[in-house]
Amino acid sequence: MPKLKIELDVNGRKISRETDAYKRLLDFLRDDLNLTGTKEGCGAGECGTCSVFVDGKLVKSCLMPVAKASGTKIETIEGLAKPGDLTPMQKAFHKTGASQCGYCIPGMVMAATSALRQNPNAGIEEIKERLGGNICRCTGYTKIFEAVELAKAVIAGDMPEDALNEDAVGDSYIGHNVRRLDAPSKVSGRLRYAADMKMHDMLQLQVLRSPHPHANIVSIDTSAAEAMDGVVCVITSADVPDDTDGFGVFVHDQPIMARGVVRHVGEAVAAVAAEDLVTARRALSKIKVVYEEIAGVFDPEDALKDGAAIVHDYAPDNVVKHIPVRKGNVEAGFANADIILEDDFSTQQVEHAYLEPEAGIAYVDADDVIVVISPSQNITHHRHMLSHILKKPINKVRFIMSPVGGGFGGKEDMIYQGMLAIVAMKTHRPVQLNFTREESIIASAKRHPSRVHYKMGLKWNGEITAIQFNMLSDGGAYGMSSEGVMRKAAILSCGPYEVHNLSVDTTAVYTNNTPSGAFRTFGGMQAQFATESMMDMAAEALEMDPFQIRRINMMKIGSRTHTQHTLTAASLDRCLDAAEKESRWENGTPNVRGDKRSDLGGDDTRAPCTLGARFTSGKNSDKERVA
Amino acid sequence: MLTCDTYHMPTNLRDALEIWSGAPEGSSLISGATDILPWAREGRAGDVHIPSFVDVTKIKELDGHTVANGRVRLGANTVYQDFLTDASLRHLLPCMPYCAIWFADDQIREQATFAGNLANASPVADGTPPAAALNASLELARLDGGNIKTRQLTVSDFIVGPGRTLLQPDEIITAVSLDAVAGYGGSFQKVGQRRSLVISVACCAALVKADSTGRYFDDLRLALGGVGPRPMRLTAIEARLRGERISHRTIDQAAKLAADEVASRSRQEYRRDVVIGFVKSALEEALENQPDIDVTYEDLGETENA
Repeated sequence: MPKLKIELDVNGRKISRETDAYKRLLDFLRDDLNLTGTKEGCGAGECGTCSVFVDGKLVKSCLMPVAKASGTKIETIEGLAKPGDLTPMQKAFHKTGASQCGYCIPGMVMAATSALRQNPNAGIEEIKERLGGNICRCTGYTKIFEAVELAKAVIAGDMPEDALNEDAVGDSYIGHNVRRLDAPSKVSGRLRYAADMKMHDMLQLQVLRSPHPHANIVSIDTSAAEAMDGVVCVITSADVPDDTDGFGVFVHDQPIMARGVVRHVGEAVAAVAAEDLVTARRALSKIKVVYEEIAGVFDPEDALKDGAAIVHDYAPDNVVKHIPVRKGNVEAGFANADIILEDDFSTQQVEHAYLEPEAGIAYVDADDVIVVISPSQNITHHRHMLSHILKKPINKVRFIMSPVGGGFGGKEDMIYQGMLAIVAMKTHRPVQLNFTREESIIASAKRHPSRVHYKMGLKWNGEITAIQFNMLSDGGAYGMSSEGVMRKAAILSCGPYEVHNLSVDTTAVYTNNTPSGAFRTFGGMQAQFATESMMDMAAEALEMDPFQIRRINMMKIGSRTHTQHTLTAASLDRCLDAAEKESRWENGTPNVRGDKRSDLGGDDTRAPCTLGARFTSGKNSDKERVA
Repeated sequence: MLTCDTYHMPTNLRDALEIWSGAPEGSSLISGATDILPWAREGRAGDVHIPSFVDVTKIKELDGHTVANGRVRLGANTVYQDFLTDASLRHLLPCMPYCAIWFADDQIREQATFAGNLANASPVADGTPPAAALNASLELARLDGGNIKTRQLTVSDFIVGPGRTLLQPDEIITAVSLDAVAGYGGSFQKVGQRRSLVISVACCAALVKADSTGRYFDDLRLALGGVGPRPMRLTAIEARLRGERISHRTIDQAAKLAADEVASRSRQEYRRDVVIGFVKSALEEALENQPDIDVTYEDLGETENA
């Protein structure tokens, strides 16, 4: 491929290199110059993990062809401070704990640095606006904004430089601001995530994914792809032992690559390892797969009907897991109720959207140990499963957990590590797979979409007499964490309330939708959405204050939980007291107070977002003026 | 993934036109590149190979801006951030800073050009309503027997439909000319699915000048985006309000007329509601944003400090 001569200044160093004409500045910095503090989170200009200065202007390097950068002066996260040092902004991020997974943080530091370079007096609204092109998924932004305001004060001389030092800790860490040990590695961009790691002679892997939700694979012809220059190997399920192929958190129902049938759009069908990424991608289009589309099932209620398409032969009823919980006598509880409320609640599929797309490396070491490096949230289990699938002794399989650039449950499933291991074994070369953002969204597990049918009986005094809770969840094409999610949803179903008579059923079913898996709260959110909505509706029906009805029913010391565990500690009373006080809650039934509630707005609440803070910022005039 | 065989960065217009007219079939002109890179990805165009890119951003004739005969001539390399940072442009084109602040984010605005936004001809481009309000015309250059020939097209003639323009295969956009309207109050309304980095569902640009008493509409310009295949100037409403006494009732009545202009094929009812609110807010904010005039609304009998 024709090369382009690029001459530029990067972090004060003159650079002259030949590179591929199609490369983006991001690729040039990461691949050619090994400056991996600049990350790729989306490749589409949405997330800001790749922000760099070009001639003093902050840009997104994933949107800049490298040719545009020729002749410019580039500043990356690595160039902000001298080696071993941190800028006041980086120190402020360290001080306020403004880094969690850290993947967005180099870009955030760049955007924050740019904001104060553009306007050293920027107010908080202008700071937020100037950081508007950078997304963080872990911190909630508050600590990031705290850091920018702290750095601003120190740079302006309004606060002493030692304000950036760690606060003194007395006898206890609790109640003190303790800095994270790994923060310097993140605010400086030095921490290497899996996609930042390079090994000598490393191949790049790309995955061919199913365009169909449910289809038989009639044939896969990889010959044209294998014949391409630069392609080293193509793998399919034929490269995996068929009697042991299968992984999953609870039930091992998912093959490393589709075996004879695809069960959801985006399922891996084949993978190409090549000398470079472009060759691997081009080779994918040379693989010929003949599919025979078959009827699918896309709604969890349909999955339970007679005659529904069967997703897995081992589960002809399409049920992944049913968890029943029974306590007391529900019929008697409802008979004893003064009022019975019944309603339906549904929640949707949700993507984890960690800033770091899935990535990994595998190699076989000199002792024939298969090593997989990836941001897996479950390396021990992955190691055991892979050793079984590959029929290797456990001491010949090693998993190394690379820094996880956000997981939230979405990196618990071994959806790509197996492919890497097989290529490493076939080629005896290191191999890397970096998902694109789109691939991450299409191939990774999601939060279970759920439907809850809820029936609650209450006395006029607000006391719950019985609950019937029936949840149906769409587990998607593979079991993944569904079983555990259903258990947790059942255990937490009726909330932190003591209910003497309850009947709870949670069920996850197979469909041909994207698999559902682990996601923060692990089923608790879906259950609590239903229960807490029901509590508010009950308060309305009984003309009670929402706090009051919760206090009447809350679990206390000595209460028996839904699963018959006797509590020796309980804190909901204090939780409710604190929430009521801090929200300046206006007592009363929620539906009779009109739109002028006294507890809305105020100094510590956030106004709706708007744009244009910089138009008024730093001006003495009380008029909003642009021109 | 976007790949190419060659990437040209000509530094003068003649070289650029020569390279462009000789570029292999399927080649592409490129300006800020902020739209084409996200386009060449899974779910949109997928992997795309372009034989040659001809990047216009280093062409020196396309830089900067000039003012003559009541018009601002923006070189095609003018980026959105310039409308926020260049004091002269802020003064001459009072609705553009408000448009720019809603466009993408600070970083993308450093690369994304106004001319490129018009060339993409998206029905929901943020740049088309203010362009229509400012009577924009595009200057297109091509080689004709070795000479550089230019022609002018108004933005409403240039954009013929979603993604379709009258730009000919050998032409390059060299400039966008706009009315210089210093002294007008400007505003821009936009709704999308979130605040930053979002494409409009609908947007509206306004420019207003009250008379010296601050009581009457002297002149106004209104344009909508996202409600039809092309940018839409609300000339009937402009004519109705010109010379009228400024009052909330007058503005409300005019705003209601705008709903009938909604011609988009999806979410019609929603867009009708939005447009009524947008025209009202756009006019009120533009009145308030006038640099030298304090407006008095008739209905309230009180002075609203703009």
